[in-house]
This record gives sequence, C-alpha cells and structure tokens, in this order.
Amino acid sequence: MADPVDLALPSSSATAPAQPLPKPATENTPSQQTQNLPIRDSKTAKTPAPSDKQSGKAKDVSKPAPASADAPGATGADKPLTPAELKKKAKAEKAARRAKEKLDREQGGAGTAGGLAPGGGQSRPPTAPKKDAAGGGASQKGQKAVPPRRGSGPTGQTGAVEHKKKKEDKSVAVFGHLYGQQRRTTIAGAGKEVHPAVLALGLQLRDYVVCGSSARCVATLLAFKRVVESYTTPMGTSLARHLTTHLSHQITYLSTCRPLSISQGNAIRALKLSIASVDPSTPESAAKATLCDFIDNFIREKITVADQVIAGSAAQKVQDGDVIVTFAGSSIVKQTLLTAHKQGKRFRVSIIDSRPLFEGKKLARALANAGLDVQYSLVHGISHAIKDATKVFLGAHAMTSNGRLYSRVGTALVAMSAKERAGGVEVPVIVCCETVKFTDRVALDSIVVNEIADADELVSAAPPQQVTGLTDPVTTTKPADNKKGTSSAPTTDPSDSSLTASSSPLTNWKDTPNLQLLNIMYDVTPAEYVDMVVTEMGSLPPSAVSIVHRMSTNM
Amino acid sequence: MPSTSLALTPGLGSFLKSLKTHPVDTSIENLISLLKRRQIRHSRSCATATAYLLRHVVSVCKTSDPAKLIERVQSVGRRLMAAQPREMVVGNVVRRVLGLIRDEAEDDREAEFTLSEAGSESQPQTPRAFDDASLPLDRDALSLRAEGAERSSSRPTLQSMFSLLSHPDADHSLPSTPGTQSPNGRIPGHGPSSKDVKAEVLEGIGEIIDELGQVDDQIASYALEHIHSNEIILTHTSSTTVQKFLVKAASKRKFTVIHAESFPNNHEATHATVSGNSSGDDEHLSFESFQKPLIALGITVILIPDSAVFALMSRVNKVILGTHSVLANGGLVAAAGTRVIARAAKVHQTPVVVVSGVYKLSPVYPFDFDSLIEYGDASKVLPYEDGDLVDQIDVQNPIYDYVPAELVDLYITNLGGHAPSYLYRIVSDHYRKEDISF
Repeated sequence: MADPVDLALPSSSATAPAQPLPKPATENTPSQQTQNLPIRDSKTAKTPAPSDKQSGKAKDVSKPAPASADAPGATGADKPLTPAELKKKAKAEKAARRAKEKLDREQGGAGTAGGLAPGGGQSRPPTAPKKDAAGGGASQKGQKAVPPRRGSGPTGQTGAVEHKKKKEDKSVAVFGHLYGQQRRTTIAGAGKEVHPAVLALGLQLRDYVVCGSSARCVATLLAFKRVVESYTTPMGTSLARHLTTHLSHQITYLSTCRPLSISQGNAIRALKLSIASVDPSTPESAAKATLCDFIDNFIREKITVADQVIAGSAAQKVQDGDVIVTFAGSSIVKQTLLTAHKQGKRFRVSIIDSRPLFEGKKLARALANAGLDVQYSLVHGISHAIKDATKVFLGAHAMTSNGRLYSRVGTALVAMSAKERAGGVEVPVIVCCETVKFTDRVALDSIVVNEIADADELVSAAPPQQVTGLTDPVTTTKPADNKKGTSSAPTTDPSDSSLTASSSPLTNWKDTPNLQLLNIMYDVTPAEYVDMVVTEMGSLPPSAVSIVHRMSTNM
Repeated sequence: MPSTSLALTPGLGSFLKSLKTHPVDTSIENLISLLKRRQIRHSRSCATATAYLLRHVVSVCKTSDPAKLIERVQSVGRRLMAAQPREMVVGNVVRRVLGLIRDEAEDDREAEFTLSEAGSESQPQTPRAFDDASLPLDRDALSLRAEGAERSSSRPTLQSMFSLLSHPDADHSLPSTPGTQSPNGRIPGHGPSSKDVKAEVLEGIGEIIDELGQVDDQIASYALEHIHSNEIILTHTSSTTVQKFLVKAASKRKFTVIHAESFPNNHEATHATVSGNSSGDDEHLSFESFQKPLIALGITVILIPDSAVFALMSRVNKVILGTHSVLANGGLVAAAGTRVIARAAKVHQTPVVVVSGVYKLSPVYPFDFDSLIEYGDASKVLPYEDGDLVDQIDVQNPIYDYVPAELVDLYITNLGGHAPSYLYRIVSDHYRKEDISF
C-alpha cells in the first residue's frame, strides 16, 4: 500500500532533484504538519497532498473523496518534493490510513454519515454527477478515463470509495477469510518494476477479458516472456537471483488484480524453477533465450498440444445421437465438441449458463457458428436439460489432489443433477482438464478455498430500455430533477434515489443494512460425481489426480 | 385490497373491480383471457379471482337447484381450466366449490329426511364445535368422521373403511350433520327450502375467499416451531408465504437467510423482496409492499446467484421453499431451479421444508411431468443484445420444475406440518371424489 508514493518518487524528483521545497504552497503546509500529527487531521490533509496524479489515484481507491474545501488545492500541489520528504509523507499517510481503517471498523456499517462522509456522492451516486465533480474533483481529476467496468460501471469512483468504507459490514461472515483486499481498480500504484505488458494483462484479468484457467495461464506466460525479453540484469547480481525477484513484483501485481489461478501458480512455479536452474556462468542473452524457449515449450506442451490431445480423446467419447450437457464456457470443452463435430458426429449440445459472467454465451455462439445443434438455458433449467442428456462434459479450473473438481460455481449442481437423475440412469460426467491445472491442494467444501468477486456484478447493469432506444419515462424526467437537485441543494435527494431504485432494487444495496450480496467464483464438485478426467496423459478416474500430479511435478 | 392505480393494468385488481359492474359472462370471458395472457399469474391471485368469479356466478344463477348449480359451475370451471391448465389452483377452487354445492344438496335432502323423522335440534352442535375449533372451512380430521358418516348415509359410494364401519348407526348418532361446511351462521332448524342451498354455497365460497386471505398468516403461525436461533436458512424466489413465515420467526429469533435470486423469471421480485424497496409496479408485489422486509427486522439476508447453492449448502441448516402447486403424491410444481436446490439439500442431508396453503394442494397425480411444466419468455435468458444468437440456438426458459416427493421432508400448510406421504389424506378431505376429474 505504501508503494504508490514510492512509485511517484522518480517522476517528481527527476524534475527537481533534491530541492528543499522551494515555495511552500499554502496547500502543502498542512500536509507537512500532519506528518507529526497522528491520526485524524492527517486524514483531511492527505488528499490535497498528493504531489502527482498517480498517488492521488491510488488513494482514491482506498479512501473517501476529500471535503470540497480541499479540492482546489490538489492541482496546485504539483510541487516537487525531495525524496526524503516524500518518503516521510508516505509514512505519515500510511499511518493515517491505518488509523482510518481502524476508525472505519469501529464505526461499522451503521455510522455511514460519520465524520468521513464526503460532501458529494454518498447516497446518490449516479444522479448527481455535478456534485461529485465538485466534491471529489481533486482526486477524480487524476483519474484517467478507465473504461467503465461491467457491472460496477455507473457508480464508478464513488462506488469504489464507499465499497472500501463499508467492506467490513458487507462481507459474508462464513467467507470472511476470503475477503482479502479489493481487486485493484486502476494500474495506479503498481510498482515501477511492473512491465507494461503485465500491467495491461492485470487489467484484462480483472475485467474477465482474459478469463478461464488456461487462457489466464497462457496470457501470463506470454506477458512474462516479454518481461524476460526486456530484462537486463542489474550490476552486481546474477540473472538467476534477480530475475526471480523481478518476476515476483509482476506476480504480486497480477495477484492484486485477481487472485492467481492454480494453473497460473503452477506455470509460475515451473518458470521460477527454470530460472533458478540457469547456470550463473551463461551469458545473459543466452540465458534469456533459454527462458523464452522454456516458456514457449511450456505453453506448447502443457496447454496447446495438451488441449489437442484432450480434445481428440474426449471427442472419441462423443457418439452419434448424444445429447451433451456442459456448463458455462470451457475452452477445452469447446475444442472437444468442435473436434467431434469435425469428425462428422451428429450430436446435440445443451449449454447451461449462469449469472453474472454468462460465459456460456460465447461458447454457444462459437458452436452455433460451427453448425452444431445448440440448446441454451440457465442454471434454473438444469433439471430439464439433464433429463435427456447422455453425457456431461465439464471444464475445470483445477483438480484438487483429493479428486474433487474445482470449477466455475454451478458446476457442482450440474454434476449432481447428472448423477441423481430421476430415472435412476446416471449420466456419465467427463471432466476435461490439462495436468497443469492439477494441484496438490485438497478441498472438502467450497468455502475454505474460493474466490470472491465483486458483488456489484450481481446488480443488474443496464435496464433493457436503453437497448431499444425508446425514451423511458424515468430517464426523461430525470434531467429535470437533476438540475433542480444541483441548484437547490439536497432537498430533491429522496426523489432522486427513488428514481434510481426503480431501475434495480439492489442499486443501493451497500447502504441497506443487513443485506449482503455474495458472488463467489468457484465451487467444489465431490469426486463421486466425476466419472472420468480426460487429461493429456490419458483418461483417469478422479482419484488418480494426486498420482499424476506427483508424477508431472517430479519430472 | 387492490390499490386504485392497479385498476388500469389488467390483473387481479382490475378484474375484481370489474366483477361488480360487468355481467357474468363478460367476467368469465375476462378471467379466461387474463389467465390465457398470463396477466394473472401467481397461485393465490388465480385462486382468489376464481373464487370471486364463482361466487358471482352462483349468486346470479337464476336456478337454485343444486344439480343445475353444479352443472353451471362445472361448465365455468372447465372453461377456466382449459384456459390455463397449469394453474392448478383454479381447478382446486372449482372443485371445492363443487364439493360445497354437493354437500349442501345432500344436507338438504338429509335435513328434509331427518327433520320429519327425528327433528333433533341439539345434535348438530357437536360437529359445529369441532369446526369452530378448527380452521374455517378446512374440514380437519375430526369433522371428517362426521362427514364420512353423513355421506355414507346419503350415497352408496363410500370413501373409507372407517365410514363403512360407522354406517349402521350413522342415522341415529348423527342424524343431521350440516355444520361441517359452513359452521357460522347456519340456523339449526332451517327450513328445507332450496333457496338456502344457494345462500349456503355463497357463504361457503366467502369462506374460501377468507381462507385465501388468511392462509399465509396461518402458515406463519407455525414458524416458531420450525426455526431455531442462529439458523442459516436457504430460500428461493420471492414467495410471500415464505417471507411471511420468516418474518414471523424473525419476531422472536435471530437467524440468517440465504436467498437464491431465481434469476431469469423472478429475480427482480426477489431483489425487491430482499432489499425491501419494492417498485410497486408488479401486481404481485403491491399486495405485499406494506410488509416489512426481513432486513428491517435485523435478519441478515445474503443474496446469492442460483449457481452458488451447492457451494453454500454445506452451511445451511434448513431449506424453506415456496411452491406453485402441490400434487397429491407429495410432489411439487415449483419455480424452476427448485429441484436442484432440493436435490443439493438432500445430498447435504439438509431438511427441506415446503410451505404452501392447502388451496395449492391439487388432487392431480403427475403421470406426465412434462405436461406440468410451463416454458417462459426466452428473451429473459438471452437478452435483446444477443438477438443474433436466437436464430441459431434453441433457448429454453422453463418456469416450473417438478420436484419429486422424496426430496421434500416436510410440508407446512395452514393445517399444520405433514409428511409428504400424508398429503393424499388431505386431498381426500378437501375434494369430492366425483369432482377430481370433472
């Protein structure tokens, strides 16, 4: 968390190296004083203090917008500070932040209006943009136009602010251990060591642009390849030693964007192992070439070719007249089905999809374009889809070494339905999974190990009226209300909030006491629901996962 | 009951309003089209509309001859059921009204008979006392005895072995048992005029309507027997019965509710129920909008997507489900997604409790599950933005699931808690055999 300011260092200190603060601007003095002040005051002074936009951005994530009185100061605060001063300030800020977090915790969810409430966007995020601009202008100015995120789009910045503030209140108790830190919202505050390719990848991972266990693995490896290519060993260290730490910066950044998948972890482990095994005597260029080759080989062996092998052998399981049920959008299942289709087999595919990611849509589109007979329904239709199924193909996020399948949430329901069909005839459940997704971790339930995604994704995004382009009575009346609202203070607020509430009752869920939204990413399917795991090393029962994993890691 | 704004949109509110002014045939047509267009949807709305319509039908019926009344109600009932065969409550209400008329007719005949023979005035008090203790209009096990005896005296078709045994002395011990159907307001020594049959029937229908209004509260009164402190309860859809049940329990106990959002068909209502700010534009919600949400009572509500049900089931103590209708074998026709939830609960050995009014209990046995399932608007599954896909793929949006009886551990109706295997008994208490398929 202290990184942002450290990062800011080079840019500002480069312009004015080691100057003892030429003209103490009026806005800067309070922040200087607050270095000594312990808790509360530094909080207000903190926001004008950011001497460059990067750190301003980083802070915006972690704390509410400043009071509007401080706002104009921010632009003038671009004063170069000496590195020492910056460091000092960073320390003070860190202390303040900690204190504030503590304060937040004490206040809990009830005291929303507490001393921290910013002037602007507390209870009316989307409808009063002008106010927000005035109130939170200081920090928002620094924000580059980040494309609005799916789901949490409209509430945007203020949403992020509030989110942090009330996190303690809104986390589901059973999953308390999984609410680590918020996923990173911007690239601000990333260490300077982080390679641009990795920066970009981080955002893609966060926004589910790169989604799916193997896609994430490949993308990570490719990004790391570019990191290795552009890497030069600093003086006085060896490549084997320094590159590992250099990579770990990239990894830390990626993991703040989205927790790393098992496949990513396995790939990174393999890469680190190969870096460590580089002979210190080899010249740098040769070593880098070896590493790049290693990455290429790894992708080819573990994923590209493995996928082909799996698709080939899984496609053999498909027979004419089959009805194949699959869940969400696994790339390997897609490949399998396409391979089977190419082999001239005639079968029907029934895709079951789930909110909020709707990954199955992509799969449905791809399969339909290839000319397959596709049926599409959501989780609520599982029991209907499974009724005439003859096989279930599932993708995996990981296979745990106790043979359980760790995959997109909802997979377990599909597997269970396949095994508990009313007629008593069990539908075979086949999991397609590369061995790179095997892990030595074990899981009994879906609660100890899981990933919590932003619950705002569950709040329905755009109302359907926007799509049709028809003017909707609510939106037409809104501008008038809005103008009035900005001119005549917060009197129109209730009507404003009721208007937004009508779009989705959950819009203000964070302000609603006792209401929690839970958006977990994965669930664990019991091993007894899985009949076969198709890997590039052959088709196995789920109990063989641990053995294969041991074999493949010992090699 | 309905707010004034509702009169504009076709639905239960506007229908009940128009019932007073429109002629009967128009009203019948009106309800048929409402049912066909699915502008009246939820079980209770359908039941209420049917009951009001039948009351209207009976009241304007010129004849007072029970046979003619039955014929008339049957013909209306057939048309209503044909309009929406999957709303089984419509048929249930029609059957109950038919049963009412039959009972009244038999009572009448019997009364004529007994009045001349025995002329006892005090005897009817016994079955009435039974009925007063029980819930209105629900013939419980106690009054069943009298009823069985009574039927056996009038009809040769016996319903149970029990009544067979009690046959010989039925005429002496219970000479006239008229109080079973409409306990209140019956004058013990009423004259056998057939005018009264109609009045009794109308009164009986009024009681059915009352029952429909009270059923959720009656079910909720059992809540404290079933929910203990610190429980984690999983539920699904925005069923009012379930909400009232939980709210009642929340008045005394602290627990946590996990609410699956039942995505494409009912998620908006569920979101509104959960967050307590209902938009009020939905007919179903407007009746309940005055009800406090659970969160206002200090109950933590966790909203989850349907897909997370399996993941969380291991922490759930009890699953409480609402239903669309209950079949005589104990199976359910409930909102789509209920089956996997019940199945997941079974896998995790979590008890599944179904709360449902007796009016949802249908005498139909499910021989063809598929015929019970209704499919809904595909655009809810695949929105307009993905319109290009619609041509290429087959989008399915089932509205209901059939949940087999073995997945349900307990039914709570307004009569109390029952095992699924006991339901057939309640069915036979509520519907006359001859009306099951009319």
